[in-house]
Amino acid sequence: MLQRYWFGDVDEGGCRAAGTDPAALAERATALRTGMDSFVPIDWEVARDCGVVRTREEYVDLLRTVCTALARKKIALSYQGRDVELLQMVRMLDELDNVINLLSERAAEWYQVTNPSFSRKYRSLPAKKMLGIIRKGARGGLSDVAEEIERLAGTRSRLMREVSARADEVLPNTSALIGGLVAARLLSRAGGLESLARMPGSTIQVLGSERALFSHLRGGTPPPKHGIIFQHRRVHNAPKGVRGRVARVLAAKLAIAARLDYYRGEAVPEFLRDAQARIDEVGVAA
Amino acid sequence: MIRLGNVLVSPGEGGVYGERTLEGYRVWDPYRSKLAALYTLGGGVELTPDMRVLYLGAANGTTVSHVADYVETVYAVEFAPRPMQDLLEVARRRKNIVPIMADASRPEEYAPFMEVVDLVYQDVAQPNQVEIAEKNLVFLKPGGHLILMLKTRSVDVRRDPAEVLAEARAGLERRLDVADVRWLEPYHRDHAAIVCSRRE
Repeated sequence: MLQRYWFGDVDEGGCRAAGTDPAALAERATALRTGMDSFVPIDWEVARDCGVVRTREEYVDLLRTVCTALARKKIALSYQGRDVELLQMVRMLDELDNVINLLSERAAEWYQVTNPSFSRKYRSLPAKKMLGIIRKGARGGLSDVAEEIERLAGTRSRLMREVSARADEVLPNTSALIGGLVAARLLSRAGGLESLARMPGSTIQVLGSERALFSHLRGGTPPPKHGIIFQHRRVHNAPKGVRGRVARVLAAKLAIAARLDYYRGEAVPEFLRDAQARIDEVGVAA
Repeated sequence: MIRLGNVLVSPGEGGVYGERTLEGYRVWDPYRSKLAALYTLGGGVELTPDMRVLYLGAANGTTVSHVADYVETVYAVEFAPRPMQDLLEVARRRKNIVPIMADASRPEEYAPFMEVVDLVYQDVAQPNQVEIAEKNLVFLKPGGHLILMLKTRSVDVRRDPAEVLAEARAGLERRLDVADVRWLEPYHRDHAAIVCSRRE
């Protein structure tokens, strides 16, 4: 029975070597299909008798070269998807949010010490305004820091627009339903467009509320109604009584949208129209 | 296995992942590596210079590098692209590691590269860990060993780890002789090592 190995084909009659060029061998190996029922692991001596290599060292060496080339090819392929960069972009965005909040908090604390009149009243201002006051009012290091934070905030808003634009392109249907930013966050949680497309609606519904979910599964606590999708206005603006229902319906539609995005890659107006109508209908009925 | 006092070490070129060295040997930290934990706890299968090993779930190649210090050849299978990049870097410096980018639950993807091995070591975070092990038995020589690092939390977070272990053990006993089962406490929580041998 014919067996196909990385270095050549082997059957009762002997073996046919496929050459010793690593690139050609790697190319050939991608096309090999093995039936596991009849598979027999190879003895390296067969490759020697076949004339591919002379020693065990040469065998392992050539095999390593071929496998490394194959792995490099596969890695390059997996980084090719449009969603891969978007993933990093959202994560950077969320990281920026964290950093900006931490820094602003610290800057306010610092400013309060140097300027006792900067009291609670000021701290309830929007962060942007507060930073402006600190930058103007403080001297030296603190003023520099405030300026840096403002610049960082600018970077953050530019990046946010970029994320939205990229999400509209990579996830046209999902973005149309919940907006680019939230769609991108869902993608980031799922780990990629393919995994998001494979998720059931019920999973999408609670993406981002893993703690509540697992504490529920372990027993006792009520289940989470929504995770990341809470950030969408349809969910957080919905009256409390129907919020869970809106989240469920929205998540179900998102699951379909993600599959459309993955397999078709373009917006599907008929689907979007029906889905929007359905979600709106759930939101008002109480 | 080589021990200096109580410290498990492996011979080989250092500087793979910032590990400490001791008298020219690389320290193999049981808190970092589950296999090191198993040896530190007195279990496991002695690694010898003539062994060929199939390593499923190679990740960044830290444990792989230690195994490679002891044995003849390691076939290191990893699926995710990011850790695979690190693994390739480790394999570049160690001539006896064959890095394979494939899914351990689909042995047909890497079967054409495989020879018979003396030891299958599996450390994958999947719910069907026993099934994956069974699929890979085709590469294990009769009398060879399987070391399965059971991540009970990956099988099912809701169930009691001891229960998950009992079920995994029963599953493995269908085709293997289970020689040793132990928890990796205090080094790793909810992880158990199952050492089996394939029937002759």
